[in-house]
Amino acid sequence: MKKAILYVNQFFGQIGGEDKAGIEPEIHEGQIGPAIQFAKELKDTEVTHTIICGDNYMGSNTEEATAAILDMLEGKDIDIFLAGPAFQAGRYTVACGTICKAVKERFGVPVVTSMNEETPGVDMFKKDMYILKGGNIASKMRKDVKAMANVANKILAGEPVGSADEDGYFARGIRHQAWRKDGKPASERMMEMLVAKLNGRPFTTELPIPKIDRVEIAAPIADLKEARIALLTTGGIVPVDNPDRIQSASATRWGRYDISGDKRLLGGEYKTIHAGFDPAAADADPNVVTPVDALKELLKEGVYKSLHPYFYSTVGTGTTESEAARMAREIVPLLQEDHVDGCILVST
Amino acid sequence: MRLEIGNFYVKDIVFGEKLSFDGGVLTINKDEALAFIREDDRITEAELYIAKPGDKIRMCPVKEAVEPRIRLDGRGLFPGYTSELAPAGDGALHALKNCSVLVVGRHWGGFQDGIIDMSGEGQKLTYFGQLNNIVLVADTNEEFEKHEQQKKNDALRRAGHKLAEFIGACVKELTPEDKDIYETAPMIKRGAEVEKLPSVVYVMQPQSQMEAMGYNDLVYGWDTNHMLPTVMSPTEILDGAIVSGSFMPVSSKWSTYDMQNTPNLRALMDAHGKTVNFLGVIMSNLNVALEQKERAALYVAQIARSLGAEGAVVAEEGYGNPDADFVGCLVALEDAGVKTVGVTNESTGRDGHGQPLVTLDEKCDAIVSCGNVGELIELPPMETVLGELEALRRDGNSGGWDYDEILGPSVREDGSIILENNGIFCGDQVCGWSPKQMMEF
Amino acid sequence: MVKEIERAGIPIVQMCNLVPVARTVGANRIVPTISIPYPLGDPGTEKEEQWKLRRHRTKVALEALATDVKEQTVFRV
Repeated sequence: MKKAILYVNQFFGQIGGEDKAGIEPEIHEGQIGPAIQFAKELKDTEVTHTIICGDNYMGSNTEEATAAILDMLEGKDIDIFLAGPAFQAGRYTVACGTICKAVKERFGVPVVTSMNEETPGVDMFKKDMYILKGGNIASKMRKDVKAMANVANKILAGEPVGSADEDGYFARGIRHQAWRKDGKPASERMMEMLVAKLNGRPFTTELPIPKIDRVEIAAPIADLKEARIALLTTGGIVPVDNPDRIQSASATRWGRYDISGDKRLLGGEYKTIHAGFDPAAADADPNVVTPVDALKELLKEGVYKSLHPYFYSTVGTGTTESEAARMAREIVPLLQEDHVDGCILVST
Repeated sequence: MRLEIGNFYVKDIVFGEKLSFDGGVLTINKDEALAFIREDDRITEAELYIAKPGDKIRMCPVKEAVEPRIRLDGRGLFPGYTSELAPAGDGALHALKNCSVLVVGRHWGGFQDGIIDMSGEGQKLTYFGQLNNIVLVADTNEEFEKHEQQKKNDALRRAGHKLAEFIGACVKELTPEDKDIYETAPMIKRGAEVEKLPSVVYVMQPQSQMEAMGYNDLVYGWDTNHMLPTVMSPTEILDGAIVSGSFMPVSSKWSTYDMQNTPNLRALMDAHGKTVNFLGVIMSNLNVALEQKERAALYVAQIARSLGAEGAVVAEEGYGNPDADFVGCLVALEDAGVKTVGVTNESTGRDGHGQPLVTLDEKCDAIVSCGNVGELIELPPMETVLGELEALRRDGNSGGWDYDEILGPSVREDGSIILENNGIFCGDQVCGWSPKQMMEF
Repeated sequence: MVKEIERAGIPIVQMCNLVPVARTVGANRIVPTISIPYPLGDPGTEKEEQWKLRRHRTKVALEALATDVKEQTVFRV
């Protein structure tokens, strides 16, 4: 028998309405409120405890409330943690998201909740957990609990959860390939989309264009003549024996190679392991990708003050944003330690 | 133009006395076929196998797939490539359906080669898992590229194209079970009934990114790197005017089999006169420099406008920087007032969090998306391996690796494998087969 | 890569051929190069010409780092 614990607010915990919204968290053995239906819907799973907390208390004392609940859960067997359904109650949705995130982080257990799309909890937490698309009023309770239990049951049974559309949760920003149940080939999907678009009828793209994430523009170097510069590349230039075993595509590794003093990048000693382009030119003269020769000349001319003693290399093709970001975060401290003022990244 | 394809449905393949086709059974005289293959003195080692759906067979490194066919007028199957230059797209040919000739390296693979499983979980990852395959496993004396990650695979690929025609010859004199007829009228002479339908073009972006010759897709034997977008008839594409190349991670590739059968094209031809007026194909390309990409997009948009296209479909044979050609072309068409649908795959990585295409534009509002090149795939050992499984880990396959701290090597001692979808032979099927779709999770 | 380094407050210039890609990934200082396989020197040209091009564009990149920009900027080469 697997074990589940449910979080609800003061109202669904049957303590009271708005007047009781300030109550501190409490834990009860057994099932209160929606927990009773969860107990019916969950397969081979017992709902061992119900946690109840006032929405206002959670909202204004988030840290204390979260800490108290995590303490209550310490040492308990949990196979899955559930919260809500929260419907269209703004504070309750944030509470459900907050506690689910904390429990997932502390205990590493799966969490599932449910909220209406009009609530703030959705955007705050949809990337962190399964949030089922819930109704706007409590009369949708049965339906929303069923939907949560459907996903929870798959997780508990070790089965793959269906896509966001299939299982009715908010997309988490994760895209994978999957087999369509109807097996409809791309050619038919293309034809339907084309005819709909031509005739001004609605259609659903299979690749919604995501918003581009921007970072604040870093302040410029005040005086280039006093600046220390570092060189990086995603063009896969490495010593010929590729000592860091950087992959030719979908790289997860990077390397840094000494270019201090009078060191030069020569064909035959360095090459590219990037497999996304014709390597001939870069193998013959790696400077066409990593312009170490030009940087040294410009250094001699006094255009800038000094060159960071290593260049950094990885491969860009097929490398995911998250891997690239991780690699960059590993490299940044090395640049900061050496007081680098600005970076040149050459990509292919 | 009128192309007539007579279909012979292959239900079984056996080795026997005489190359023949009878009652759905294709019989191949192995010695005779191998002797034919060895006429190319670059081939140093060759063997033939049969791989059917359900067989416990894994193939690696697979280099090419070709549908066995024969032209009835004596013209070669691939004009300008394996036979004399001649127009394609008109006339009659016979084809062995549900059947392909696969070419597998006996030892050496590369970035652009792939895996096919004929049974188990891996079978559905590629279209070729459901076909009756004649498998040529061979090695060559092309020493210059033995240890290169990028291989032209010239001798092996040509052997496949020629073998497909050699085998196809057995149905030359027979009567097909049924026929597919693909007929096109001149674009400006189609009659009021057809012309009142929205007119559309199909824009193909075949792989043409190697500046060195011998790797890219060929059109009438001409390297697609050396061409600008031009107009072609869909019947030419279906009749061997274009052959696949040897560049790009293989799940994104279109094999020659895919070209010969391009489902997107056939869907447009089926819809012609019903829901659309299908004008024809704009054969574009994929490039390595921004200016080249922009030039190609500019040509495509101009041609579409000149032809009076109201709609277009753009399909790319690649991912990564080719996405810039793809998105650039979609945007150029939309800017020219052409309502456009794109067909592509994505690279969202093993965790699914990655940016789907390397460039994005809100004008791309209608995309059919067929797969994730970075999807992690684990497959159990297979009884029989044709080729050399080690190639997946050793030879720089785009979906495989030699070393990984967490996952270990792609090929394990027990014969099980772990790879990225990148290494599945023609797995993403952007040409139109794909039953896969990218979904949000 | 670019974003994480910029996020750390270090100005970074991306030298690349595919400007639309750099724009999409969110690079703020961009210096165009001539192609993907050989960003800074066309092997089809004389060594001297390759060197001139490389020196020039690298210098533009350095200067870009010292230039105040308010939005994504592609520097002229």
